[in-house]
Amino acid sequence: MLTVPTNRRAFLAAAAGGALGGLLPASLLHAQPNNGKTLTIVLPSNPITIDPINQLNHDAMVLGQTVFENLVEYDVDGVLKPQLAKALPTVSADQKTYTFELRDDVTFHNGKKMTAEDVKYSFDYLLDPANKALRRPIFGKIAKVSVLDPLKVQVELSEPYGQWVYFLTKYMGIFPAGSRKEHGDDYFKQKPAGVGTGFGVFEEWKPNDYISFRKNPNYWRKGLPAWDRLVVKMIPEDATRVAYLLTGQVDIISAPPPREFNRLKTMPGITGASRPTLGGSLLMFTNNLKAPFDDVNFRKALACATDRKTIAEKVYYGLLDPTGGLAPPRGWWFNPEADKEVAFDLDRAKQFLAKSKYPNGAEIDISIQAEPYLLDTKDAAIFLQAQLAKIGIKLNLKVYEFSVLIQQIARGEHQMAMQVYMSPGEPTYTIANTVMPGQFLSKSTGYDNAELNALMSAAFAESEQAKLKDIYGKMQMILARDAPIGVLGFVHASNLWRQGVQDFKVNQALTMSVGEVKL
Amino acid sequence: MLRLVAGRIVSSIGTLLFVGLALFALTRSGPGSPARIVLGADATAEQIAQFEQANGLDQPFLSQYAAWLGDVLRGDFGRSFVTGRDVAAEIANALPVTLAIVLFAFLIALIFGIGIGVLSALKPGGVFDRVSRFAAVLGLSIPAFWLGIVLIRFLAVDLRLLPPGGYFPLSAGLSLHLQSILMPSLSLAVYYIAVLARMTQASLQETLRGDYVRTARAMGLSSRQVVFYALVNALPPVVNLAALSFGYMFGWALIIEQVFNIPGLSRALLNAISQRDFLLLQGIVFLFTAIFVFANLGADLINRVLDPRQRAAA
Repeated sequence: MLTVPTNRRAFLAAAAGGALGGLLPASLLHAQPNNGKTLTIVLPSNPITIDPINQLNHDAMVLGQTVFENLVEYDVDGVLKPQLAKALPTVSADQKTYTFELRDDVTFHNGKKMTAEDVKYSFDYLLDPANKALRRPIFGKIAKVSVLDPLKVQVELSEPYGQWVYFLTKYMGIFPAGSRKEHGDDYFKQKPAGVGTGFGVFEEWKPNDYISFRKNPNYWRKGLPAWDRLVVKMIPEDATRVAYLLTGQVDIISAPPPREFNRLKTMPGITGASRPTLGGSLLMFTNNLKAPFDDVNFRKALACATDRKTIAEKVYYGLLDPTGGLAPPRGWWFNPEADKEVAFDLDRAKQFLAKSKYPNGAEIDISIQAEPYLLDTKDAAIFLQAQLAKIGIKLNLKVYEFSVLIQQIARGEHQMAMQVYMSPGEPTYTIANTVMPGQFLSKSTGYDNAELNALMSAAFAESEQAKLKDIYGKMQMILARDAPIGVLGFVHASNLWRQGVQDFKVNQALTMSVGEVKL
Repeated sequence: MLRLVAGRIVSSIGTLLFVGLALFALTRSGPGSPARIVLGADATAEQIAQFEQANGLDQPFLSQYAAWLGDVLRGDFGRSFVTGRDVAAEIANALPVTLAIVLFAFLIALIFGIGIGVLSALKPGGVFDRVSRFAAVLGLSIPAFWLGIVLIRFLAVDLRLLPPGGYFPLSAGLSLHLQSILMPSLSLAVYYIAVLARMTQASLQETLRGDYVRTARAMGLSSRQVVFYALVNALPPVVNLAALSFGYMFGWALIIEQVFNIPGLSRALLNAISQRDFLLLQGIVFLFTAIFVFANLGADLINRVLDPRQRAAA
């Protein structure tokens, strides 16, 4: 039975409650933003660009991959598959010429049919130093791209380098011939409408808030995407990102906080999953050109004093596969012997330290990032500080923002730095970039080993997996023996999503894969 | 009086120019260059030099400042090195969002702060006074960002009364607009409600103890009239504090907007800091400084209206 307040105080309280209730439309009280078919996903950081040839952050690559596609792609299980090409390329006997046959049913968002000319134009643009594409250096071995016929393209390399095909999946896209000149770089950066072939057509970028795409009705994969609109929101605060999901304001979130992940994924209405990545490593960039890392025994002492298992369990709650080797434990190229060589063993660590130039330990500055990127490294650094103190190594934590930290590492100005490093999940990428000369993060370690370099060249010329496994195994052993770089483990990609979301799979390559998601 | 007001305005502009210079120096004193963000970690020294030349970053410091100031006075805040977007447009886009939250929070703080202060001053030591003192201690102690997270948890996640974050402009409807700014404004206001309540209570009590109040009562003025006149006399320190609070609120809004995922100035500012986006960073901080300086100037002027002694001194 309805009761009416009889005194002034109760009446005022009821009136205030009623007024508040009146403010709230029923749609918000039971928020269902997904009526219609809008898929809303969340990123933790604000992207600078949508352009894949200049994208820095792996989680933001979902933007470029919505609009742009390439000749090949990685699927969510990390398997290389054809995308705009009909099949994986045919490769010449000398491993230097790659031929791609293109699909003939692909059109750009502007309605123009995609042909070999567009592919050649895209590569030529990327490779021209004048265009300053951030990702150009990793494609540096491409000598020439030729059009064989309107649907056939040939890529010639200056020397064998099979890895370049894998990098296509993340770091570039195919765009219409002449489009860069026609629209300018800012257009690709901020509003690339009409210039991609992907499942989403760029719609709007509201800075600091969201970026939206509408369904490409002429997408060559018939029936995809199942949604009409994709909204990518940027929510940096962990608790708020989770609250958005719990209240149904968004459908999928990336980078859920590890300490809450296991609890959240079992909550009613919420599903979550994680899977190890093959290319996301948590690294300690030890500068071999600076003391005390100029001594191999000191580096080995540090490696053996690092209890990676505890960090993986206590700091990252299982979202890190601990290993000391520079290969993911779940990758086919992983060498367990290399992992054992630098496994946690305090007694061995003390022996190495005693043999080093610094038998009484040392004081080290470790540079870490203020804001989390993929994982928050501050917690791991604090744990490491306590672990290394057991053998007399004092760690001073120095916190920097991303732009400063990456600059330090790239210039070799640091003593030691910790950061998550993402690669396409290909065996040579991280090794080539961090411990071999002439690469963009070579100065992060300053390491140069002729034996390792020769093995890398041999790997570039080899295509048989069994032989490659042997070569990669040897490379890992050299790295374990010399410990030029510290490895804590390989990160897991993790996502949480609402139960109404179907066919979403956590992408082993970390970037969210949303083209096949249904609502 | 006019001369004094003019003097205050000139000194405020002077402060602003000085802060602008300091800000300019600070943004450029950091170790990172925006070139590194725009061109990436593997950019060569030559590419970085080219970028800095193209954007005037290789010019002497004072000529950079003069050029920037000249442009700002013409209303041109430049174009972001990083995103390529027009800084003035970006600020114009984000400012109304922050203003909506801060103004609503300021209104809440004024109404409840002064209201609670007056009520507790009327009966010192009474139940309301004691409860409000305790509440003030709580209000002063609770960090705004934590309160924000608690509000999201209870009002949005558990009770589903309000959205957990985001912003709806007034054009989306009054109801949606108020829903989106209620929790952030409340989180921002609680501290200042406590501050203003304590200041109003102390100042009003002091005034009510004055001889002229006793005389006024003896002459038969109604209680309501006495309190009204006493309040006018008690207000100057409250107005000063309110003006300071208004300026500080923009600072706190940085954190609150982050918690509630609101695309206001602070989101733009934090991104500008992490991306070394000098022009955007300078534009926003310069604006914050101007708001702070002019809020204080406004408080001075209001106090001159409220307090005849200050007018006479002028």
